[in-house]
Amino acid sequence: MSFKTYHPIVNFIYFCAVIMFSMFFMHPVFLGISFICSLLYSVMLNGGKAIKFNIIYMLPLMLFAAIINPAFNHDGITILFYLPSGNPVTLESIAYGIAAAVMLVSVIMWFSCYNSVVTSDKLMCLFGKIIPALSLIFSMVLRFVPKFKAQFKVIFNAQRCIGRNTSKIKNIIKIISIMITWALENSIDTADSMNSRGYGLHGRTSFSNYRFDGRDTFAVIYMLALIGAIITGAYSGFLDVRFFPSVKAAGLSPFYAAYLLLCLFPVIIDITEEIKWKYLISKI
Amino acid sequence: MEIFNIKNLTFTYPLKETPALNSINFNVSQGEFITICGKSGCGKSTLLRHLKPQLTPHGKFSGDIMFKGRSVNNLNLRDAAREIGYVMQNPDNQIVTDKVWHELAFGLESLGFDNNIIRLRVAEMASFFGIQSWFYKSVNELSGGQKQLLNLAAIMAMQPEALVLDEPTSQLDPIAAVDFLETIKKINREIGTTIIMSEHRLEDVFTMSDRILVMDKGEIIVNDAPQAAGIKLKQMGHEMFFAMPSPMRIYAEIENDNNAPLTVKDGRNWITDKFKNINITEETDIIHESKEDVLIKLKNIWFRYEKNSADIIKDLSFEVKKGEFFCIVGGNGTGKTTALSLVSGINKPYRGKIDINKKYKCKIGVLPQNPQALFLKNTVELDLLEITPDKDKVHEMAEFMGIADLLGMHPYDLSGGEQQKSALAKILLLEPDILLLDEPTKGLDGFFKRKLAEILKSLINQGTSIIMVSHDIEFCAKYADKCALFFDGSIITTGTPKKFFSGNSFYTTAANRMCRNIFKNAVTCEEVINLCKINL
Repeated sequence: MSFKTYHPIVNFIYFCAVIMFSMFFMHPVFLGISFICSLLYSVMLNGGKAIKFNIIYMLPLMLFAAIINPAFNHDGITILFYLPSGNPVTLESIAYGIAAAVMLVSVIMWFSCYNSVVTSDKLMCLFGKIIPALSLIFSMVLRFVPKFKAQFKVIFNAQRCIGRNTSKIKNIIKIISIMITWALENSIDTADSMNSRGYGLHGRTSFSNYRFDGRDTFAVIYMLALIGAIITGAYSGFLDVRFFPSVKAAGLSPFYAAYLLLCLFPVIIDITEEIKWKYLISKI
Repeated sequence: MEIFNIKNLTFTYPLKETPALNSINFNVSQGEFITICGKSGCGKSTLLRHLKPQLTPHGKFSGDIMFKGRSVNNLNLRDAAREIGYVMQNPDNQIVTDKVWHELAFGLESLGFDNNIIRLRVAEMASFFGIQSWFYKSVNELSGGQKQLLNLAAIMAMQPEALVLDEPTSQLDPIAAVDFLETIKKINREIGTTIIMSEHRLEDVFTMSDRILVMDKGEIIVNDAPQAAGIKLKQMGHEMFFAMPSPMRIYAEIENDNNAPLTVKDGRNWITDKFKNINITEETDIIHESKEDVLIKLKNIWFRYEKNSADIIKDLSFEVKKGEFFCIVGGNGTGKTTALSLVSGINKPYRGKIDINKKYKCKIGVLPQNPQALFLKNTVELDLLEITPDKDKVHEMAEFMGIADLLGMHPYDLSGGEQQKSALAKILLLEPDILLLDEPTKGLDGFFKRKLAEILKSLINQGTSIIMVSHDIEFCAKYADKCALFFDGSIITTGTPKKFFSGNSFYTTAANRMCRNIFKNAVTCEEVINLCKINL
């Protein structure tokens, strides 16, 4: 239905591209696009939680980053005023601080989107193709941790039943020590189970639930075309920006549109799907 | 066609004098359903492990094991992995990956199938086993029964010729166990897979099996069709006869031919026929109300885990007297275990009162569902010494529980029954007046259950009160002083076992279901047999 349901490779290429571009391009228009799109998408994905998170953590972080730069960086030609220490505060260093803060926050927001789109299943599908053993270990760890936690709780409660004070470090250490024995003991069973199902035979494959279909091909071509265009633009100097000694950025170019289309890609997909759905429902 | 031929198999574990398996001979035909039974420690698991080359234990081995005419030792690992499936006891430990769909695919990945074939096989298995609704779940969200079903499905996805199962239902509650066994039968019937299974839940398995192998001390003592096997055990006077289904045991005590009924239905027909023209004399149940003091009394207890969650315990009231054995039976998730935690004081009710008799100390000992959770040390002895430094007391207790020869062993190396006894020893060293037991008979065979009952009886004679939560109706019927049915957070009815079970029509023993229209108050096999003998 949405961008989330596309093949993991599509998701992965998209996030690689937007996160890389957000980190490398300091052009104010590009920063703005990246910031707005990441904010939009994170709110679409996580709803109210994202808004709350952005206001509580991202806003102060942004202000902090914007203030800290002019306090230590005194380059630039437009001097606004002097600090008590005698150092100048310049317009350029404020501009640079704001740009860096926007960049930092957009990258964090992109990662929060990445987290809710690229789940452990998808990651495993991606790496299973390249290194099957690694993806299996990853999956076994994800199996082991909740199992270990559950058993810890069982032993913890059982010890409380026989009157052991479980808040004492000494007793906790005893429990942890028996937990290690428990884990080793049970891993023998697991090893038997793997062995009896042919683990270790030559030519192991990695199964994934995801199928690469027509819309995935389209999405990959669409993204690669835009990425290609943006990289060409960057090489030909259309995205250049200079902060010191004075701020100078490259002017309007079609690459703005390319970047906007790339960053908005999941938002566009989700919204068109939503409209289509409403339309189909209304026809019934 | 014969799928397994076992000839003269003798096997000795390293550093052991006596062989674990002694000249075993038997054949298994394609599509047969074979059940292996015997006391724990009789060599069932060792035998089953020999049928799967990857799991064969180390030790001194002689004889031949042929799979489809080839020796299993010459079988290449790929064929061995694919054609012989093996399901173990513990549902949790067999699961390797974190997602249901991934677990189903695991064996096929190992065998190197490509994505399309795996997708088809996984889809097939998910449909056959009814896994669709939890296909994308994490395995740690599943119940025990679902986990074991998943293990079975993951193996069936490799399309094995033969399926070997080592007590697959021992960790499951009765309802999940019956579900699981029905699935095994379905596989046997509809796919034609050969089944070799060890099991001690014989009431359910007997009617499904084509053949029963009974093992004792590493040897096969009976190898016959279910009915004949039961009669043979009776003639041998073997204690495994007590593990046979109730209709068969009652029949074998009365008649002397080979037509013993296996199901409650057949048993009922037989007994109705037998007593057609006979007037039944039956003593009515005399209720001795015990005159002992009430030790603990729960009055209108309400409990929920979180402020906004649903009530788990609703208006629960009951009382337990000194030296009384109080059993609580009931379905899964009705709050039985939670009720125990309220009595033990781990959880506190938000309404109602728990009165404890001030005349006694009323120390409470709790045996959790998983007795393993009580052990912390490297040997049983050190574990017991943890409770009291008094060595003589520990040895006395070990003697009383019959675990004196296990003191030097690691608690995790003990069998289920031995762990249960050691854990109980640890609890008893606390000298409790009230003992709370949470499904103590889970995974125990009949022999260990009788041992446990003896221990509990002698505790009661010493004046200890016992509150037990259990699924094991037969056990409660036989030994309890009072039984209670738990449903939807409170106790629906309470009574002596006779009154309680003869009043229920579904939640009662097999012997009672079979004979209820003839004998009004008979609940256990022994009572029915007695009444039969008196009235004939």
